[in-house]
Amino acid sequence: MAPWLANGLIYASALALTAGGITLLYITTRTFNFAHASMATVGFYVVYSFIIFIGGSPYRYFPFAFLFGALLGVICYYGLNRPLLKRQASEITLMMSTLGYDLILLSLIQMYCDFLTSNYKLFPRRVNMNMYDLELFGINAATIILPLMAIICLSALHLFLGKTKFGVAMKATIENPVLAGASGINSDRVYMVAWLIGGGMASLGGAAMAMAQTGTPVMGMNSIPFMFAGAILGGLHSLYGGILGGFMVGLAEYAGVFLLSQKFGPWILGYRMGIPLLLMAITLLIFPRGLAGIPWADLFGRLTGKKRGVQA
Amino acid sequence: MLTVRNLNSGYGKLQILYNLDLEVPAKGITVVVGPNGAGKTTLLSSIMGTANVFSGEVLFEDEPITGQQTHLLARKGISYVPQMGNVFAELSVMDNLHMAGYLMSKSEARLKAEQMTEMFPVLKKFIHRKAGTLSGGERRMLAVAMGLMKNPKLMLLDELSTDLAPIIAEKVLLEVIRLRDELGITILIVEQMAKRALEIGDTAYLLVSGGVKYAGKASELLHEPELCNLYLGIKQLPKQQDNTRIPSSEGRG
Repeated sequence: MAPWLANGLIYASALALTAGGITLLYITTRTFNFAHASMATVGFYVVYSFIIFIGGSPYRYFPFAFLFGALLGVICYYGLNRPLLKRQASEITLMMSTLGYDLILLSLIQMYCDFLTSNYKLFPRRVNMNMYDLELFGINAATIILPLMAIICLSALHLFLGKTKFGVAMKATIENPVLAGASGINSDRVYMVAWLIGGGMASLGGAAMAMAQTGTPVMGMNSIPFMFAGAILGGLHSLYGGILGGFMVGLAEYAGVFLLSQKFGPWILGYRMGIPLLLMAITLLIFPRGLAGIPWADLFGRLTGKKRGVQA
Repeated sequence: MLTVRNLNSGYGKLQILYNLDLEVPAKGITVVVGPNGAGKTTLLSSIMGTANVFSGEVLFEDEPITGQQTHLLARKGISYVPQMGNVFAELSVMDNLHMAGYLMSKSEARLKAEQMTEMFPVLKKFIHRKAGTLSGGERRMLAVAMGLMKNPKLMLLDELSTDLAPIIAEKVLLEVIRLRDELGITILIVEQMAKRALEIGDTAYLLVSGGVKYAGKASELLHEPELCNLYLGIKQLPKQQDNTRIPSSEGRG
């Protein structure tokens, strides 16, 4: 498989997970989580550390990345987000507080890197995780495993939200916290679980992302605009929109740029980072409410020749 | 059962209720009426802990519940049917009912949900549809069903009859009476159909500009022509006075 497509699929899966996490946190706690950047990086360093100290394939350590991210998310909720929500802080305050949390995490990551260098003579500031990858059907295993992992994770999330009592209660709280409270649903617990899942998805996404690009302490920092681009492209109010948006932004950055450069020449490559953001801007100009605001049922109805009312 | 003492509350910095006192006797229907903007809904929000209480206290069964989290109040047996946003539009009718029975066991919730669909057959028809696709009246019925699901000790009902066809509104109000008489549930009802609500109510409060203008028996408020006329738009009684020259209050008293 061509490297642009392989890397594009991995990166798109990673962004789908992280953008989904950002959307989940926003629709539950009104918080734009900037700490997603370093939470993702932490996920990569968790997997890296396990490989260095224990060895084996990176994939078996992905669950630990999720758990570690979930822990960071829960710490952020109880230490930062919950006290602010209790004081009815504005969205701006909530957002800026996560930026502070991100800087703390980034510093801790830098300290950990120094620790590895001085004690174990390792060079964790530029890591190519590809060299630890396995081969599957003649190609890098990451190309197959990571998109599959993203699909499984997101299906599990879908089942959790749709079929379990607590999942439905979560959807209920997202839509109407007052009525959910009056029904006896503890919104506190719902928000905690949202941070747990959102944080876990961030670190899992970060671990996946490192399989497609060089892992550095600022890896998450560099891709946070695209995580947000994905979430915004999805319309910010729909979890599935966010996931789809993340996937599209990720694919546009690798595959879209490659295809465009084939057509228009290599000068396009210099604008690699601009392309996904341009895609987001154009989509929002046509569909201001993002991917989730597109009347899909109506579109499909037109394609199949059935007439349907315009969806509200 | 529920006591509100010297309550000052509102939203953010905006104060809406001023030194409000209110007493909801157990196993009775207490009606709160008043013109728009009097603070009726804010009163319920303050009780449920979703408005900001600046001072004063709320007691439920002689226990202070001022500013407690809403879900804890639900656990104590207070059921609240808000005026707006009283169903989960994104969930199916079935899931809505099950969410209303969140604190019950699964089998109990299923049983109660069945009872509710029997009481409101229209809900049975749309059981798998998203609540957001229901009409205004159907939504209100679902909201009422959700409030009844919870087996409450105290029910707070906000503008119960809005959006309902008169015949259904009457059915719902009769249901409220049945709740009091058969199940012994205490009810605090904020109602825009003031006349009908005062007829079924035991105790009444007239709220004007964030304060209590009248507190007493519901039937007696109906016979205060001045208050009725000025704040509730009930003109029937003064008209009768003109025709018969005998104050109807005496005739009915």
